Amino acid sequence: MSKKILLLSSVIFLSSCATTNISELGDKFLDLINPSDDATEVATLSGEETLIAMDEAGGFTIDELEELSNDELIAIASEKGLEDLILLDEDGNLLNRDQIINAIVESAALLESKSEELESMSDDELIEVAVAKGLSEEIVLDADGNLANRNELVEALIDNAAATEAALSEFGNNADSFTLYFGYDDTEIDEVATRIIIQHANFMQENPSVNLRLEGHADERGTREYNLALGENRALSVKEVLGLYNLDDRIIVVSYGEEQPILTGSTEEAWEKNRRVEFSYY
Amino acid sequence: MKIIKFIISLSVFISFSASALLEVNIIKSSEAAFPIVIAPFEIVGNSNNVDIANIIRDNLNRSGQFNALSTEALITNQIDFSFWQKHKKDAVVFGKIEQVSNKVYNVYIYIYDVFSEKSLYQKKIRVHNSGFRRIAHFLSDKIYYVLLGQKGSFDTRLSYVTVSENSNSGRTYKLQISDSDGYNPQTVVRSSNPILSPAWSKDQKKLAYVSFKNNRSEVFVMTPFLKTIPIKLPKFDGIASSPAWHPNGESIALTISNKGNKDIYLYNLKSKKLERLTKNISIDTEASFSPDGGKIAFTSNRTGQVQVYIKDLKSGKISRATFEGRYNAKPVFSPDGKDLALIHRVGKDYRLALLDIASRDLTVMTQNKSDESPYFSPNGGMIIYSTNRDNKGILSIISLHNNQTVELMQKEGEVREPSWSNYSN
Repeated sequence: MSKKILLLSSVIFLSSCATTNISELGDKFLDLINPSDDATEVATLSGEETLIAMDEAGGFTIDELEELSNDELIAIASEKGLEDLILLDEDGNLLNRDQIINAIVESAALLESKSEELESMSDDELIEVAVAKGLSEEIVLDADGNLANRNELVEALIDNAAATEAALSEFGNNADSFTLYFGYDDTEIDEVATRIIIQHANFMQENPSVNLRLEGHADERGTREYNLALGENRALSVKEVLGLYNLDDRIIVVSYGEEQPILTGSTEEAWEKNRRVEFSYY
Repeated sequence: MKIIKFIISLSVFISFSASALLEVNIIKSSEAAFPIVIAPFEIVGNSNNVDIANIIRDNLNRSGQFNALSTEALITNQIDFSFWQKHKKDAVVFGKIEQVSNKVYNVYIYIYDVFSEKSLYQKKIRVHNSGFRRIAHFLSDKIYYVLLGQKGSFDTRLSYVTVSENSNSGRTYKLQISDSDGYNPQTVVRSSNPILSPAWSKDQKKLAYVSFKNNRSEVFVMTPFLKTIPIKLPKFDGIASSPAWHPNGESIALTISNKGNKDIYLYNLKSKKLERLTKNISIDTEASFSPDGGKIAFTSNRTGQVQVYIKDLKSGKISRATFEGRYNAKPVFSPDGKDLALIHRVGKDYRLALLDIASRDLTVMTQNKSDESPYFSPNGGMIIYSTNRDNKGILSIISLHNNQTVELMQKEGEVREPSWSNYSN
């Protein structure tokens, strides 16, 4: 019937909470999750016993979220780093219930696709990803050198992805910008750009599992192939600053030259917007 | 006396689009063009509805070298030379299409000089139904050669990239090849990611191009007429782009970024050897080989400005080629090796320009705002390049004989990144 959506950030939430007894409310939600799974935990929030967390195999559909109280939704949204979206009236009542539900579903869907992606990988690919994410310690090999704990490793990677997602979501709200702009045929990093780059450097240092893709772009003026080279130089000059923080190994640089403008048209405004480097974390 | 009226068909603006994906417009009337008459071909038996005479006329008119008109009536063996002399036509061309069997025809062509009243050329060719357009291009080259003493560029192919917006806000990029007149377009690569810089190998069997299908620029070589998987050329940790064939057809110059340093390399497709051609911390890109393979012209910002340089591959000497203006890029050698077509910045505009390498004379060829990607026709008589019309990418072909311009465009979407093949074998 309705599609189950994994609520992955709840896993982190659980780990930070003491386990409590399953309440009546919990029983009600138990019916909603995979009945074959017995590990279910309930968390305490603002003095009231509210079930907002489930084990890894569980999930919420939109219908299920619709049944939750505003307080429960607020609790879930907060845990998922979506607290900035929450709008309350003077009495503390949730004003944008639908928006919050959608945001929760979207962030869960993102992790679901992450989980599908991980499940479809070979053991070797999983090991590679785990190493790249700094999770080498989680890898267990058998006597023949084969991966012995595939399921656990996938779980660890999903936890990691959820944690990254939450950290990114928070950083997304706090960072000044994820795009730097440049002058005509220029790769210079000015003071404003430097300040933004430092924010990103700090974020990366605090979150060792995130990797950065710097995407360089150019405006339409001049030749396409030269602009492809110029776009790469822009991204490289950003990487150079990040390199001062020993982040080189976690950064890849790509250039799209003038092929992917933000604004089309031959105006100064469009050119300014298109001469840029975009930060994208993965 | 038999009166033959001739139809003045070349107006300032001709447009046709029949089976071509590209629409073709000729702008500017052709002054100083060779006035000739090409009569409709006589048809014996069933017609296959391919108007050979019309294809030839369009070809010759597009070159800027000819003002080729049609006639209302057929011309057969009896030619009224005095009539054509009076109307200041220098040559008369006519022919016959004779059905031999279901799909096989004999095509006859005759070229006469109006003033000497002598036959300049005549030929009979047996053609399969499917080869009619090809024969029209072949005969156009013959007429060009017989009347001008130079090779034409008609029996050749174009390659270019089309871009269309999808309903779901994505784009579709197609690498296409077509006849030199924009007819017979075929899509050889299709992608939702950008495609750039297609270039024909000299034998016309392979196309090198840049694709972002792996979310970064990489150079591929494909064989459009054999359904084989494209070969990916070497790259390091950054961009790989800007392929240019060595005239020997075995090697390709390309730009590869290694630890951030973009230089031009030569990759041999047979030996798989990679040789570094430039070594400079600045951007070196957009290589083009001289026709003898002894030199490359390329774009570099090594002096802080974007300028064009030429490297002599034997001596290793690199010399600056452009001195006028602050931006000169994307050079391409003319088939005789004497000129470079390039993109030159004038004020805020980027225009096609022609550089005489020896004298350093630079001639700006257009009044456009954003010309890109010039490429010579194999006879050197025309340059194809991309530009913008009403915020839409189109191709433009300029005749170096009289600057007559022909525009090729798509009804929907953009067309860009043209290159012109060599002659067919």
